[in-house]
Amino acid sequence: MATMSCVLEGNRVKAFGKAIHALSRIGEELWLDPMVKGLALRSVNSAHSAYTCFLFSPMFFQHYSLGSGSEQGSATIKCKLLMKSVLPLFRGLNSIERNVERSQISISTPSDRVTIQFFCRHGITKTHNLHFQESEALQAEFASHLCPNVLKAPARLLGDMVMHFPVFQEEITLSMMPLSVSFRNYCEAGNDHMKMMYTEMSLHPDEFDYFQVGVDSDITFCLKELRGFLSFAESHSLPVSVHFGATGNPVRFYIKDMVLEATVVLATLMDSEKRGPSQPIGPPNPTSPRCADAAALPAVSYEADGSKPQDIPAVTELITSSQGSPIINPPALMQLLSPVDDPDRLGVSDEACPSATTTPASTMICSLLFRALSSEQDDDGCAARLPVLACHSDAEEDMEEDYRRSPSL
Amino acid sequence: MKFRGKIVDVACLNHFTRVVTTISKLTKTCVLRLTPDNLFFVLSGKVANGGVGMWCELSQANFFDEYQMEGVSPEDNEILLEVTPENLSRALKTVQNAKAVKVKLTKKHCPCLTIAAELPTLSSVSRVVTHDVPVDIVPRRLWHEFKEPIMPDFDVSVYLPPLKTMKSVVDRMKNLSNFLVIEANLNGQMNLKIETDLVSVTTHFKDLGNPPWGDDAASPSRESEAMAEARVDVRRLQQFLVGQQVNPSRAMCNIVHQGVVHLILLHEDVSLQYFIPAVA
Repeated sequence: MATMSCVLEGNRVKAFGKAIHALSRIGEELWLDPMVKGLALRSVNSAHSAYTCFLFSPMFFQHYSLGSGSEQGSATIKCKLLMKSVLPLFRGLNSIERNVERSQISISTPSDRVTIQFFCRHGITKTHNLHFQESEALQAEFASHLCPNVLKAPARLLGDMVMHFPVFQEEITLSMMPLSVSFRNYCEAGNDHMKMMYTEMSLHPDEFDYFQVGVDSDITFCLKELRGFLSFAESHSLPVSVHFGATGNPVRFYIKDMVLEATVVLATLMDSEKRGPSQPIGPPNPTSPRCADAAALPAVSYEADGSKPQDIPAVTELITSSQGSPIINPPALMQLLSPVDDPDRLGVSDEACPSATTTPASTMICSLLFRALSSEQDDDGCAARLPVLACHSDAEEDMEEDYRRSPSL
Repeated sequence: MKFRGKIVDVACLNHFTRVVTTISKLTKTCVLRLTPDNLFFVLSGKVANGGVGMWCELSQANFFDEYQMEGVSPEDNEILLEVTPENLSRALKTVQNAKAVKVKLTKKHCPCLTIAAELPTLSSVSRVVTHDVPVDIVPRRLWHEFKEPIMPDFDVSVYLPPLKTMKSVVDRMKNLSNFLVIEANLNGQMNLKIETDLVSVTTHFKDLGNPPWGDDAASPSRESEAMAEARVDVRRLQQFLVGQQVNPSRAMCNIVHQGVVHLILLHEDVSLQYFIPAVA
């Protein structure tokens, strides 16, 4: 019988609530994944083009325990809850700040319930029981240390940029060039774009805590999905790291402090019109769907039995193959990706997809391909060759440090 | 046709932004008329707008540090642009802390008013934010529609009560009826009335005072108690009141009996006139 129980105190309840708000901007379901290293909250949007994960370490909680007398490594429950059941509990953050002294969250398997209790002033206790569905955890993988472009900036700076765009602005384009970073709003062509207001701003590299441009690129992503995350980052005054690559590849925003870390991975538009000359146009692949639907990266999801990816070789690779096109076998990919500062090489990976010529002029969102590893994995051994694209955050952090020290892999 | 203006003073920027925001609450689109000395936001009282008209006049020197324009031709030294004031308002609101804001007529994908703001940063290089607000050039042959409205031959002119008070009254009346009667007399009294099958409500204001337009303005033989009234769409009146963000130095209402309600707001450097036609 696997359970989890944690207690949050005072300010932490508000922070937790703010995370729920950010998660609610992404998807309609909330995954709770209690692990030894902390409680992970995840959400993904229906198009599978946006993913966010908030990981609260045990130190975030006043009290955090997994299982009732169970050993480490034994089965932990992964729950899926409806966002609209959870969000209202944390809706009024100001009221939570004023009234809630402590909160307890526990997961209990026999009754399939998540119990959220708020211990408020004046001896009032509010208990909410939410039914959960047991589910495999979904996780997007992202090889951030392989990204040629890296930015790190105080959340405030990004918030100031984003403030210039109206709340209804769906997508924005971030352009990275050796001497500047610019943000502008993105309007789909033909969408009454003659009447739209265009907003653009550019930043000098000096304004960033860290600025690394490996490849000139324009990435267009959904701003709406990012706002909640940025708001969370600003409220904690945390610097935000941004990792991305060439146009069409996903972008990752990341924050971390002593007790929590959070990630948002967004797919970016593969705009055929915006392709730079360095990207070679590969031969059309008739068997696969249009490249514009290209999944940016496949993700690995864990079995409910909590098997960890440590068994799989810690080789991280970025796959930009479309859903239907053949998976590139790892050795070739490694070759493609090793010199990361060579833009042409990175562009070559696009050869996996059919060329821009097969796509219509209109742009489409790349979706992150999420594939659950089911029991079939043993059958065709596919999964064994499927690269693990990201390690656990601890290992990933080490890799990031390695990367910084030796930028040319 | 050229236009280039620069606002450097933060109070001027703030004030200009508030004016544009007020206009944006009154109408979705309007015409911006630029002359060497003034800017006008104009809504011509066409039937399409329900006959509502608006005329807002700003003296450019009160806002702009630099102001250069070249009209359509030397004889017609004006520029008329159809614009969505909400876009302008949004663009201006985000750059309130700018060191300088330039407003220029540009040609991007279409004619635009470009708001370019230089924002302060911690580093040595300023951050530049540009907003391109699309506009439509109004051709010369249509200019006659956007002339300054003639003061109507009103029957009564009265100072308005505090706009906030008026707004809260009208807000509640709007829930009860679509139409509202405004009546006033030369004795400084004004009533707002609604009447439906179930209920009638009247709010009385007194001791408002009457603006001294001069003897030839109102008919001298008019009894001071006689009310001039006009029945208007309550939403139009509410729209006018919702947009007001600052208390004007003077607020007046001229009523043409069963004709039109002419509201005039005067601030130090901005004047706003709003015409609401009476309905039967």
